[in-house]
Amino acid sequence: MNAPLLHVENLHVGYGDAVVLDGVNIDIHSGELVALVGSNGAGKTTLLRALSGLIPVRSGQIIFNGESITGRTSDRIFRAGLTQQPEGRQLFDRMTLEDNLLMGANLRYDKHAIATDLDRIYTLFPRLSERRRQLAGTLSGGEQQMCAMARALMSAPRLLMVDEMSLGLAPVVVLQLMETLQQVRQTGITVLLVEQDVHIALEHADRGYVLETGRIALEGPARALLDNPEIQKAYLGV
Amino acid sequence: MKTPAKLLLLAAVLIAAVALPWWGSDVMLQFAIDALLLAVLAQSWNILGGYTGYASFGQSTFYGLGAYGVAVSMTQLGWSFATGLLVGGAFCALFALLLGVPVLRLRGHYFAIATLALAQVMNAIISNIEFAGANIGLVLPLLKDDLLFYEAALALLVAATLTVWWISRSRFGYGLIAIRENEEAAAVMGINTTLYKVMAFMIAGVFAGLAGGIHAYHITFLDPAGAFDLTLNVKMIIMAVFGGPGTVLGPVVGAFLLSAISELLAANVTSIAALFFGIVIVVAVVAMPRGLADLRRRIGSLGLGYFADNIHRNKL
Repeated sequence: MNAPLLHVENLHVGYGDAVVLDGVNIDIHSGELVALVGSNGAGKTTLLRALSGLIPVRSGQIIFNGESITGRTSDRIFRAGLTQQPEGRQLFDRMTLEDNLLMGANLRYDKHAIATDLDRIYTLFPRLSERRRQLAGTLSGGEQQMCAMARALMSAPRLLMVDEMSLGLAPVVVLQLMETLQQVRQTGITVLLVEQDVHIALEHADRGYVLETGRIALEGPARALLDNPEIQKAYLGV
Repeated sequence: MKTPAKLLLLAAVLIAAVALPWWGSDVMLQFAIDALLLAVLAQSWNILGGYTGYASFGQSTFYGLGAYGVAVSMTQLGWSFATGLLVGGAFCALFALLLGVPVLRLRGHYFAIATLALAQVMNAIISNIEFAGANIGLVLPLLKDDLLFYEAALALLVAATLTVWWISRSRFGYGLIAIRENEEAAAVMGINTTLYKVMAFMIAGVFAGLAGGIHAYHITFLDPAGAFDLTLNVKMIIMAVFGGPGTVLGPVVGAFLLSAISELLAANVTSIAALFFGIVIVVAVVAMPRGLADLRRRIGSLGLGYFADNIHRNKL
């Protein structure tokens, strides 16, 4: 197999005295849809924040697309093609939906390509197309999550990291978003899906990692993880 | 109003303003110089407080530094006024850069308090520098040329307003607005938040400094207490917020309107003018907390209900 797009090796991250990530190892290959699941407080969001350069790494290595991005600032990591769809949407509430999307492209200077991408996004999310001029803060929860995904996609990322997309949304909306994510993956964007909802994440992913108290406890094909008795017992209540 | 009509109106106002020394009285010119400099300050605060979302209480520090740049250059070094402005502006930019990096890491109230202390600190420092006149102050050469001061202040305000207009529509400005709306999300979207904030701090600092420089030469005397005046900072915030923070013309209109109200009150009710001015501010904050710009946008559809809506929403 080729070198992975993202290679995380023995990553340690903490806040003050608290150790949150205690030696995490992850590999994601181009074109994959990988799920990272785990319960509350396992360190999922911390891992994404560390990958995005929003919190410092204590030790370990992050290699993205053949280059070390360990310790780089968030804007340089973003420039390298690693974009986050953050937990809780984090939209620019008093900007219009379209301006939010354009903020995703704020480091791109190829005007025509940006316009093409915008059209493509509106085809992918017809709901957003109807609400271009609406302030992002006035959108419904599902629309906001779509907007967050669309904004991240406007950066033309190589790897899209989706944090807790299902949070606070109706199951039918989550299913729709998962299907959109599958379509996104078809366009060649690699996806790391971080979810508390173990079932829905593993149903849609190729492979999965289970994070438990700062370490990867289990990994493997998503199907196998779903059938794993330990996971069924701990996360799926079977 | 349609855009061409708006531009025409703006051009007419600008021409009338440029020609003011020839049609206005001397008293009016004096008032206008002060009002213009206050408008520059309100606009400078607008870049940081209105667009970037960082409410600075330290803009008057830059005003003082710019004033000292001109005063020291002219009295101690014998340089020209223009060179003095250049020195003051450059010094403000440098100071904003050195200070911005640590201070802009703070958010909300903490940023406000840190900047609040700035003016006091500078006051104490300058008071102990002999070269800058210590606490006695500096006397600048007298120049009775109000035309020059007026046109210089007007040019500075036009430059500041054009800069804000550019910010309101540029990639850089959208980055600042993104920081105001959600700083973490701005960082996630690849904006170098530190760089953007420091740039905004520097631009705002330079405009405040240049305003201070013109002021110093105009009044010909400068001491630390007068240069680093906190009430000035409160004034510029009130003016910017009254006019509409985060808009291009709001702070300018706010500055002129409040300057005029304050002047009229001072002329007519003298000793209790400050009280009336306070009442104007309180009523404005209660009835139109989002400033004149928002009032203009929404009064058409809501009528007087606009005020009732604001009062109701603020649970007053």
